[in-house]
Amino acid sequence: MATIAVLGAGLAPAQDQPLPQSAVKINLPDNSPLAFLSSTISDSRATARGAALVLDLHMSLTLRNTTAGRIHGVTLRVVAQEATLGGKGSVTYPSLNVGPGEALPVRIDMQLLRPSQAIGGPLVQVDLDGVLFQDLSFFGPDRLNSRRTLTACELEARRDREHFKRVLAQGGVEALAREMRDSLARQAEAGQLTVAVSRAGRAVTTAAIPEHSEEFAFLQFPDSPVEPLKGSAVLSGNEARAPRIEVRNRANRAVKYVEMGWIVSDSSGHRYMAGSLPSADRDMILAPGKSAPVLQDTILSFTAKGRPVQLQRMIGFVNQVEFADGQVWVPNRDSLSNTSLLSVLPPSPEEQRLSDLYRRKGVAALVADLNR
Amino acid sequence: MKRSHHPDPATLALHAGGDLGWFQAWRTARHVERCGECRDEAAAYRGMRETLPGLAEAPGIQWDHLAREMRANIRLGLAAGECIREVDVAVPRVPLLNGFRAAFVAAAALVLVVTGIVLERPTPSAVSAGVPVVQATGEGVERRSGDHAFALMHEGVNTNRVTYSVSAQGTMGASYVDPQTNLVTMTKVYVE
Repeated sequence: MATIAVLGAGLAPAQDQPLPQSAVKINLPDNSPLAFLSSTISDSRATARGAALVLDLHMSLTLRNTTAGRIHGVTLRVVAQEATLGGKGSVTYPSLNVGPGEALPVRIDMQLLRPSQAIGGPLVQVDLDGVLFQDLSFFGPDRLNSRRTLTACELEARRDREHFKRVLAQGGVEALAREMRDSLARQAEAGQLTVAVSRAGRAVTTAAIPEHSEEFAFLQFPDSPVEPLKGSAVLSGNEARAPRIEVRNRANRAVKYVEMGWIVSDSSGHRYMAGSLPSADRDMILAPGKSAPVLQDTILSFTAKGRPVQLQRMIGFVNQVEFADGQVWVPNRDSLSNTSLLSVLPPSPEEQRLSDLYRRKGVAALVADLNR
Repeated sequence: MKRSHHPDPATLALHAGGDLGWFQAWRTARHVERCGECRDEAAAYRGMRETLPGLAEAPGIQWDHLAREMRANIRLGLAAGECIREVDVAVPRVPLLNGFRAAFVAAAALVLVVTGIVLERPTPSAVSAGVPVVQATGEGVERRSGDHAFALMHEGVNTNRVTYSVSAQGTMGASYVDPQTNLVTMTKVYVE
C-alpha cells in the first residue's frame, strides 16, 4: 500500500516505474466455481505525464474450474479504486468450454488516467460477477446482469453453431468456408461506425444545428415475444438523443427486460448498427398483453471514418427479451437473414470465434470444432 | 498681322489633318491663305502626318505599348504631383480616437474576435469535457470524464476484427478474439 502511495507523489514528469503486485486485488467468493491459480502484472507501469498519472495495467490470470460441470461463460467485474471517478468495467468470456479441473487463462489490459496524487490501497479491484454453466445454471452476485448477457451469448452460440453445422451438411466444406469468408468481410465492414455515449439531459448543439423528432421504422420477427408499436428519437446532425420505443408483450408470460436493436442510415442510405436500446426500469414487469415504453436519456454521437454521420432514418427491432422466470429469447437465424439484418449486425461471439478459427487454422479445424 | 493673331501650333496641326470644327477650320484656312509663315508650318505638319503611317510599320517599335506606358507615366506623375502639392485649405484637426470612433473600433474588434472563435471552433459536441463519455478508441473502450479516464484495452488486436457494441443505457463494449488466449473477450465500460 505504501508503495502505491509513492506513485503519485514520487514520480517526476516523464519518469515511470513498475506497478507492484499489490496494485490489483482479486476477489473470488469462498464457494466460487473458479479457483485462483496464479496472476501476474508484469510489464505494468505507472508513468507521470505532467500533472497526470497514467497507469498501464497488464494482468494475466489463471483460474481453474473446481466444479463437475462445464463452464460456458465467465464475467469479471473491474473497478478502479475511485469507483465514482475512476470507472467501472467488465470483461466477459463467452463461448467457453472449460471442463472440470481445466484451467482458464484470461488477460485484462487496462489504462487509467488520473491526477497524480497519493493513492492508498489497490488501484484496481477484480471481482467475479458470474459463471454460466452448460446447463444454463448460473453462479455469482450478478451485479452487472451477467446472467442475462451470458445466457443470451450461449443461446446465440447454439443458434449459430446449428446454422453452420447445417451449412456444412447441406453445402459441404466449400459452402462453410464461403460463409466464414462472408462473416469476416462483414466484421471488417461493421467497425466503420464510431459511437460515443454520454448520459446528459440536453444537447448543447441545438442553437447551431436544427433538431427534429424522427420516427422509428420496425422490423418484425414472427416469433418475437415482444412487439414494437411506435417510437422516436430526437436527431440533430450526427447526434441522437432521448430514444423511446413503445413495446407490447404478446407472449403468455411476464417479461422483465427488453432490448431493442437500433439501426441508423445516413444520407447515402448506408446502414449502420448504432447500438441497443435496453429497458431502463430494473423493476419492470410487463404482463402479457400490456405495453410499456423502452427509453433512455442519453446522447449518442455517430462518426464514421472521422466524419460526422448525418442521421437520416432509424430502424428498430427486438434484439433480446428476458422473461420474469429468467429465460431469455434472441432472434433466430432465419429472422436475421430474412430481414437483411445479418449484413448490419455484428456477429455473435461464437461466430466471431469460429471465423477466427477458420482464419488462423483453416476449414478443417473449423469442421473439427463444429463436430466436437 | 501680329503673331499673337496667328493660330497656335496645335490648331495648325489639327487644321493640317482636317480635324478642326467647321467654323474654326474656315477661320484658320482664311488666315493660312494670307500668312506664308503659317502656310509653311501647316505644310510641315501635313508632311509629317503622311510620314507617320510608315513609322507605325517599322519593326521593333510597339506603338500601342509605348502609348500605354506613356499614359501610365503621365498618371503617375500627376499622382505624385498631387502628393507633394501644398494644401491650402485648412483642415480641422480631429483627435485620432474620439469617443464614437473608439467605440466603433472596439465593437469591430469584438466582432472580429467572436467570429474567429466561432469559425475555429470544432464540430459542436453534445457534452462538455466534464460530462462522462464512453467511447471506442483505437485500442480499447474508455470512459472519460475531465482528467480521469478508465479504459479496457485490446492492444495488438487487428481493428478489423474488433466489433463494438453500444448501449443507449450508457455502455460501450468491444468484442474480439484475444490473440494470446484465443478466447472471445468482451470488454465493457460504463458511463456511470
